[in-house]
Amino acid sequence: MSAEQNTLFIQHFWKDSNRTLDYYLKQMNGYEAAKKVLGGMTPDQVVDEVKKANIRGRGGAGFPMGMKWSFIPKNSDKPKYLVCNADESEPGTCKDRQIIRYTPHLLIEGLLIGSFAIGCRHAYVYIRGEYVREAQLLNEAIDEARAAGYIGKNIFGSGYDLEITVHRGAGAYICGEETGLLNSLEGKRGEPRVKPPFPAVSGAFSCPTAVNNVESIANVPHIIRMGGEAFAGLGKIDKSGGTRLISLSGHVQKPGVYEMQAGSMTLRQIIEGFGGGMLNGRRLKAVIPGGSSSPVLTAEEIDVVYDVEPLMKIGTMMGSAAIMVINEDTDMVKLLLRITKFYAHESCGQCTPCREGCHWMESILHKILHGEAKPSDIDLLVDVAGNIGGKTLCALGDAAAMPVQSFLKKFRPEFEAYVKGQKRHA
Amino acid sequence: MPKCFIDGKEVEFNPGENLVKVAKRAGVEIPVFCYHPGLSVVAQCRMCYVEVEKMPKLQTACSTMAAEGMVVKTQSEAVKKGRQGTMEFLLLNHPLDCPICDKAGECDLQDNSFGHGSATMRHGEERRTYVDVDMGPVIQKNMNRCIHCTRCIRFGDEIAGIHEMVAIKRGNNIDITTIDGKQLKTEYAGNYSDICPTGSLTLKDFRFKKRAWMLKKTATVCEGCSKGCNMEVQHEGNVIYRCIPRENLEINKFWMCDEGRFNYRYTQDEARVVDPKLRGPEGPKTAAWQDVIATVESKIRNGEVLFLVGTDLTNEELSAIREASTALRSGIQIRTFGTPGVTRTTEDGPADNILKMKSKTSNLNGAEKLGLEPLTGDARAETVIVFRGGRAGIPKIEAKWTAGVGVFTREESSGFDSVLPGLAFTEKEGTITNHSGVEQRLARAVRPKGTCKPVSEILMSLLNIKSKAGQA
Repeated sequence: MSAEQNTLFIQHFWKDSNRTLDYYLKQMNGYEAAKKVLGGMTPDQVVDEVKKANIRGRGGAGFPMGMKWSFIPKNSDKPKYLVCNADESEPGTCKDRQIIRYTPHLLIEGLLIGSFAIGCRHAYVYIRGEYVREAQLLNEAIDEARAAGYIGKNIFGSGYDLEITVHRGAGAYICGEETGLLNSLEGKRGEPRVKPPFPAVSGAFSCPTAVNNVESIANVPHIIRMGGEAFAGLGKIDKSGGTRLISLSGHVQKPGVYEMQAGSMTLRQIIEGFGGGMLNGRRLKAVIPGGSSSPVLTAEEIDVVYDVEPLMKIGTMMGSAAIMVINEDTDMVKLLLRITKFYAHESCGQCTPCREGCHWMESILHKILHGEAKPSDIDLLVDVAGNIGGKTLCALGDAAAMPVQSFLKKFRPEFEAYVKGQKRHA
Repeated sequence: MPKCFIDGKEVEFNPGENLVKVAKRAGVEIPVFCYHPGLSVVAQCRMCYVEVEKMPKLQTACSTMAAEGMVVKTQSEAVKKGRQGTMEFLLLNHPLDCPICDKAGECDLQDNSFGHGSATMRHGEERRTYVDVDMGPVIQKNMNRCIHCTRCIRFGDEIAGIHEMVAIKRGNNIDITTIDGKQLKTEYAGNYSDICPTGSLTLKDFRFKKRAWMLKKTATVCEGCSKGCNMEVQHEGNVIYRCIPRENLEINKFWMCDEGRFNYRYTQDEARVVDPKLRGPEGPKTAAWQDVIATVESKIRNGEVLFLVGTDLTNEELSAIREASTALRSGIQIRTFGTPGVTRTTEDGPADNILKMKSKTSNLNGAEKLGLEPLTGDARAETVIVFRGGRAGIPKIEAKWTAGVGVFTREESSGFDSVLPGLAFTEKEGTITNHSGVEQRLARAVRPKGTCKPVSEILMSLLNIKSKAGQA
């Protein structure tokens, strides 16, 4: 399958020597796109090109990137900020890490073009605390770019200045939520802010801010180089341009990061093609299609085109394109407890349903697994999830509620078996 | 003015107003915990859910601005379910110790639970508990009761101008506490208790003294400085138990300082002189009112007499003293006293960036408007009569004979030859004029202590004796 694919990233991955500026310049037409932008394009033209590219945000929400940039007010006197979200913390996701490791200059050039497009003079990369090595590699790449004059003062003699600061987080899932990220960036507690105002109006340091995922920004040089329309044409489905990096994990033969043209494959094709099929010949039981928060799919539901809208139609989401493949030996109760425990642990604690509810769901699941639950506890669990989902300040509540709701909808007998005493926790 | 619809009622609103405020005007009370009109909006408690037409999810009324033609439902099934869910979550870890909680009876958590919660409980897990830190002399902390509304954190940051309350840890383990467990530093700490929607932060001064619903409430004005913060005196059985701020957006908004809040204590302190005194060979002795009045009258009949009047007296008292002084005899000098170094309104001004003023008496402006001149230097006369409301700082007096009329402690009046005890600000009616010229009314909350009499009655008695003496 992958042989027929047009890819933008993956051919440059997996070799340490590829991350150098030298490789980037010689093998990837490095900084040509930025030169073109600073050499004669207007910010509006850049935004238009990104709009034409039909690129959806790669962080999880899938919001059209060009539109996000166009929300940045042009006539504001305040400084504007481009913040790259490199907090990559949705369980199962490990694609941004490869970009930073192997093609850091794509990200830096993307930041340069994006900053120019929205009028930013100081861009930030908020990188998760656990990415110690990646933060170091990125800083080294920034130093290389600065030494070569690609960032700093008067870039390409255009009069445009840009600084990039890499800010390391302290390891909180919630700092991947864009307003939680901004609070953390400002040195505050990593708690999401109430919206509106949205970051485009009042973001970092109360100034207009665009927050974009690593992969989104790293695609910008490709968009400028190929032209928005050609980039959009890489996508094999409406309203979704370019390629998608996917993080495939779980019970497949070949877990890893892969790249596909957007909308060009179904989930089944991904598992069988990229993944090489199920590990040890076991049967497929379920797939979590877009990071641990996305509603689970059964083995019967995987003939779906892997992109934002087809997945939304069947009640789940593409999220950060992290696919977790689950075989028949997996205990869904244990798995759900593990997922719920994660969200309860990562809840920031500021809003009531998430703070109290996630922990409560974890307690109920713990009781179910250990044979201490009443039959009514299953419905209670569903009801509690319903009181969290859609009712919290940020999306973490939804992220915690969706797995519970979908697991209980699709795998309820496994939970009932524990409650009825037919199954015991080993 | 633009209009929106709350539960079918058409309501006008000012652009930028949130749905809690707009609904209130339509007579619809939306339950809140974290929202406070004097603090920033954080939409954390998720209690104020409403349904807004064309919006798929429930919205929090505190963070939703009214918009032209907006259709809002506050009583739909989805809203009720949402609020019930929030109430259930909030009570999962709340100790429900209302019988022994000081907040009971005036507790938002209790009220909203009654109004929007469920009568049964589905939670059987062990409750989260905390070890409390000592927050200093004003506030008692009980973290187990906390619902994490963060009003206290925002009050410190946004009003008191001190970042001392913080949230530490996260999720289910979140703890609202002071930085490094230190004691509170702000001089406005009492407000933490006022704004706490549960019994998590209570006033040490008030704890276990009285159930909230037993208290009678009298709306009055603080006499602690020239700001004139609006406040409520809460009392029962002629005893004041506490004072809390009253909303006045022009003056003190929702707040008051601790000095003003606890100022009432002196009015019912053991040390206050509450019966007339005359100095005998062995020091001050309680005497009959008529004897004390007669003595004072005889002392001011001749010689050089100075009336020292406190700027802590009401406008009515000050006028009465001035009129009586000329009626009693000619040549009585009147000079005001109050705060050392702040003898005129031009010397008054903010003492901090919040509420406090430099003048520690309430009516400096009123006294000045009446044309009374401040004392300069020491008080020197043959006879000095000190009229005082209770707060004015008594200057050095050099006189052959001195009497105090008003509120004094035994120590304050130890040098006086006579004391004619008057009424404290909580025991009288009258008006005071604050630094910016707003005239406000003091209201009588409690009966006078002992045999204390109003200044006007004391002055009348002096005039009566004089006229009788004149006839004789």
